[in-house]
Amino acid sequence: MQRMASESRRSQMLRGVLDLCLLAVVIDEPAYGYEMTRRLRERGLSTVGEGSIYPLLGRLEREGLVATHRAASDGGPPRKYYRASASGKRALTEGVRAWNDVRDEVDSVLATSELEVP
Amino acid sequence: MPAFIEECRYEWKRLGVPNSMADEMAAELEADLAEAEVDGVSAAEILGESDPRRFAATWATERGLVAEPPPKKSRKGLWIGLGVGLVLVFVGLPAFALIGVGSGSVSTVNSLQPQRVRSVVIPNFIGMKACHASRIARESLLKVRRFPKSRCNAIVVAQRPTPHSLLQWPRGAHTIVKLQLRG
Repeated sequence: MQRMASESRRSQMLRGVLDLCLLAVVIDEPAYGYEMTRRLRERGLSTVGEGSIYPLLGRLEREGLVATHRAASDGGPPRKYYRASASGKRALTEGVRAWNDVRDEVDSVLATSELEVP
Repeated sequence: MPAFIEECRYEWKRLGVPNSMADEMAAELEADLAEAEVDGVSAAEILGESDPRRFAATWATERGLVAEPPPKKSRKGLWIGLGVGLVLVFVGLPAFALIGVGSGSVSTVNSLQPQRVRSVVIPNFIGMKACHASRIARESLLKVRRFPKSRCNAIVVAQRPTPHSLLQWPRGAHTIVKLQLRG
């Protein structure tokens, strides 16, 4: 029960920043959907919680934060590649700044509480 | 995982997602799931969702391929609407009919009939060859401004209305898509 609650909290926390993580992994080099999942995992984000990256990629595309193109992959079928657009890069810069501010504020609140685990 | 994708396709069709968009999303998902399987990554990890209908609907909505459902009207609003409707039926219609008889015209009665509208999400034609874009437009019941056949292989570099915009128009009328071609 406690584990489920913990996973749900993690999922909720991730929900607000997963779009930034996706932008971050395609800022230098374009990638297709699964390749982005792989890059997230390589950087330490093994599960993205409830939901999937696809609806989020759809929103990023609709908002013009990623540009897409189709290209052949190594030996496989043509894939849809995503890369951060100019406005996506701006959104990422602003988002990272906001994330750092919130993280620092939360850190300073949580650091004042003394944790005792029975 | 073909069953999952088939369910997604069914849902996209039900929601009125254009075939070209549904094909694109299905192909993307299929290729990714196949590659994940080779890596030993479960489909559940990729999809994060066990209900294909909900997954498909969320994806299409986030892409802007499905209109957001209108906000639910309150019960109070419903009663007011019913009241106005009844007044129109019992007072408005006879009045309009009398006006129609007096002027020798029946067109006023026709104007009271609700107009049926079509909703279409404009596909993204940019990057496609002109003839291919034209074919997809026709599949979405859109008309494309004519271009010479010699430009069939020219590439679409811009379009109006813009991709993914939701258009509504009365049945019987047409929306013309203008393509800017290069090459």
